[in-house]
Amino acid sequence: MVFKNIICPVCGGSCDDVQVNLDTKNRTIDVQNACKMGNAKFQEVVSSHRILKPTIRENGKVKDVSWEEALEMSADILVNARRPLFFLGSETSCEAQEVGLHIAEYLGAPADSNATICHGPTVMGIQESGMVGATAGQAKNRADMIVYWGVNALESMPRHMSKYGVFPRGYWTKRGRFDRTMVTVDPRVTPTAVASDMHLQLNPSSDYELLSAMFTILNGKEPHPSVEEITGIPISVMKQTVEMMKESNFVAIYVGLGVSSSYGKHRNIEIALNFVKEMNNYTKCNIGALRGHCNVAGFNQLASYLYGYPFGLDFMKGYPRYNPGETTTVDLLREKDVDAAFIMSADLVNHIPADCAKYLADIPMICLDIAPCPSTTAADVVLPGVIDAMECDGTFYRLDNVPVYFEPFTESPFSETKSNEDTLKQLFAKIKAKKEA
Amino acid sequence: MQALLNTGSTINEGRLAKGGNKYSEDYTKECAVCWMCAEDFTSLGCPEKVSVTSRDGKHTVAVRSKVTEAMRSGQVFIPRSIWANVVVEPDTFSTGSPRYKGAPVSVEPTDEEVLGAEEIVLTLYMGGE
Amino acid sequence: MADVILKPIGNFDLTVEAEVVTPDNFAGKTADEIGKVLVWQGPAEYPLTDFFTVEGNGGSSAEDTTIIVDGEIPRVKRIGQQMTAGKVIIKGSAGMHVGSAMEGGEIIVEGDADSWVGMEMKGGSILIKGNTKDHLGCAYRGSWKGMTGGRITVEGDAVSQVGGGLSGGEIIINGNVKHFCGIRISSGLIVVKGNAFRTVGAEMTGGTIVVGGNIERFTPGFELVDIESDLKFNDIECPGEYNKFTGDYAIPQKGKGTLYVSCDNNECL
Ligand code: SF4
Repeated sequence: MVFKNIICPVCGGSCDDVQVNLDTKNRTIDVQNACKMGNAKFQEVVSSHRILKPTIRENGKVKDVSWEEALEMSADILVNARRPLFFLGSETSCEAQEVGLHIAEYLGAPADSNATICHGPTVMGIQESGMVGATAGQAKNRADMIVYWGVNALESMPRHMSKYGVFPRGYWTKRGRFDRTMVTVDPRVTPTAVASDMHLQLNPSSDYELLSAMFTILNGKEPHPSVEEITGIPISVMKQTVEMMKESNFVAIYVGLGVSSSYGKHRNIEIALNFVKEMNNYTKCNIGALRGHCNVAGFNQLASYLYGYPFGLDFMKGYPRYNPGETTTVDLLREKDVDAAFIMSADLVNHIPADCAKYLADIPMICLDIAPCPSTTAADVVLPGVIDAMECDGTFYRLDNVPVYFEPFTESPFSETKSNEDTLKQLFAKIKAKKEA
Repeated sequence: MQALLNTGSTINEGRLAKGGNKYSEDYTKECAVCWMCAEDFTSLGCPEKVSVTSRDGKHTVAVRSKVTEAMRSGQVFIPRSIWANVVVEPDTFSTGSPRYKGAPVSVEPTDEEVLGAEEIVLTLYMGGE
Repeated sequence: MADVILKPIGNFDLTVEAEVVTPDNFAGKTADEIGKVLVWQGPAEYPLTDFFTVEGNGGSSAEDTTIIVDGEIPRVKRIGQQMTAGKVIIKGSAGMHVGSAMEGGEIIVEGDADSWVGMEMKGGSILIKGNTKDHLGCAYRGSWKGMTGGRITVEGDAVSQVGGGLSGGEIIINGNVKHFCGIRISSGLIVVKGNAFRTVGAEMTGGTIVVGGNIERFTPGFELVDIESDLKFNDIECPGEYNKFTGDYAIPQKGKGTLYVSCDNNECL
């Protein structure tokens, strides 16, 4: 059967035009419009390596168990731990994340999500200086200058350039690519850089100095000459870039992990945001983050409106607190300040530094995921995941923080659960029963 | 050789990771790779494999080397993956996010075997359980 | 002066939050009562005696209460938070948030201190004899106003974001700093006797920063205005010749701060 307008649950692009032809008899799936990355995930619906049975590790051996047993054991681990960490990954719906947050609040535990190891500093930067943003459609219709700063869009959000950023023909950008100037700022000659009109190949971790110098130029002053050596970019080129921005009708800047992960982190974002604010005295200018995982923006939105903070929440004292560097996953694990972990829809072990991964493998860990990965290998309990946007409905937030409701084209392969939200609700009920007993 | 380690996505890394193929041969081929420029490669003696070690010397990972014009001398790149993260520094400068970009590492030629993702978890993280 | 001596006895598998350990709280309490004061570990509260032995009664008021922590407590946070008077001496290293929002009195840490020492401090003094990490005397997340009064002295090194948003008071670092020292300060004084890595005084709109060592990467938005020698700020002396810069011109705000950088150690400037 053919299904149209399916939402892709892979990266922050949340492309909403995917066409799927699912042959349930031969177990094949044909996917149109999605990129390589998206297509790969759609194949999971019929893949042979999908995790279909809950497992637990007993005396070092992994064995299959029933859902009931796996949930029971998960609840035991979480109730008996004094400070379990909840890592509510982004590759699932806001609805599932919401239940996870409520469990964390109930147990007085820390709760975090992918932003902490990804665009956390971006969110912190926004908190420091506010943001001039725009939806993807605005940029598509109006932007005649695109800046990819520290992001390799072609590879991390493959359809960004073709769907929102550079190529699409918009109302005021009728000739598509020809109506836009594309600039990439990246220390590496990435495919995105190759596709650009101009590439500023700055030295690694000198984003702050470059932004600060461009800001100084914008304010009509001459930056200190040492900045040329620090950034590897001549002041004349910085001036030219600022002039180009001022002369454009609408500048859309997309920042990636290159800005928020290199040192400077939230300060890089903060000065970029302030620069954009000031640039609006000359022309329309906005900024947005290219989010790698599909619903990573969703957790930030959800946690902010439910509990006031975007990530790295700690419910230890019964009310939410937040302090990146103290209540965030990598720090909690490095400092061994948690004693169990619940990891949902994110391969945490794969993405954190060795010391943290090692500690995570040491403590009791529950992992909810769809395919074998380092986290499921290291886990003590593995709960099979349901694939959002394919097997159940729910909500994602797109990279520009627009909520997107998605509907499934097939159903959960498990009779025991309809969705990750459902699994978490069952787990919560068990936790409550144990706690209140 | 001392170098600054950059990590990030590549399209095939994304395709394999999102497709649930982290334990495949292809994934190891794509991600257990250290990119560097020709100059650095030559100065290391054109090794087929290199070991990358974190600044504190605590963690080492063996990966294949790859020569590319995309890099400058003194900078290396490993696709975002478990291999790269073995040597990424856990210090977050009070931001929650570790040094995925610009962690100082040392790179030396090696004959050690390049491990798969699962083996890394089992041997490095779970103590060979 | 009454001394209350706390000797750590362990159980620090998870970190402990002990914002109740202040002279204000201990004043007027006997050793027994102090032992029953509750501190947080994870989502539960436990009496102080689970972690420390307590010796000596508190004084009649905060002013005459001295708390001596006789040991290493790198996993105990928030000692001396919001204290207004009296004295706290930590004989080893201390965890995060020492003297956060402190209003008066004195804290001495003989070892190292973790991040967030003296966050938004209003008065009193803190002396760290070892090293400290990030956000010393800094503003809380999202706030633009950090420390407003008092003095923090660090004999060793600090790392990043020293004195972020400083709007009064003094910070003296005898060692080195790394990134964003004095970011967005509007008033007050920061003296770094050692080296700084980068972005010193970024976004500053007032106040004074002195760097006696080398700045590896100078902040772009500063303009050289003068050369001065042998600086003196009340009792703080900075001998030698200094380039005087104003900035940061990278931000549109009107006010500008002053940045003194040692001439000898920064020939390229
Ligand atoms: S760009 Fe992202 S959302 Fe769009 S199809 Fe590719 S992976 Fe899916």
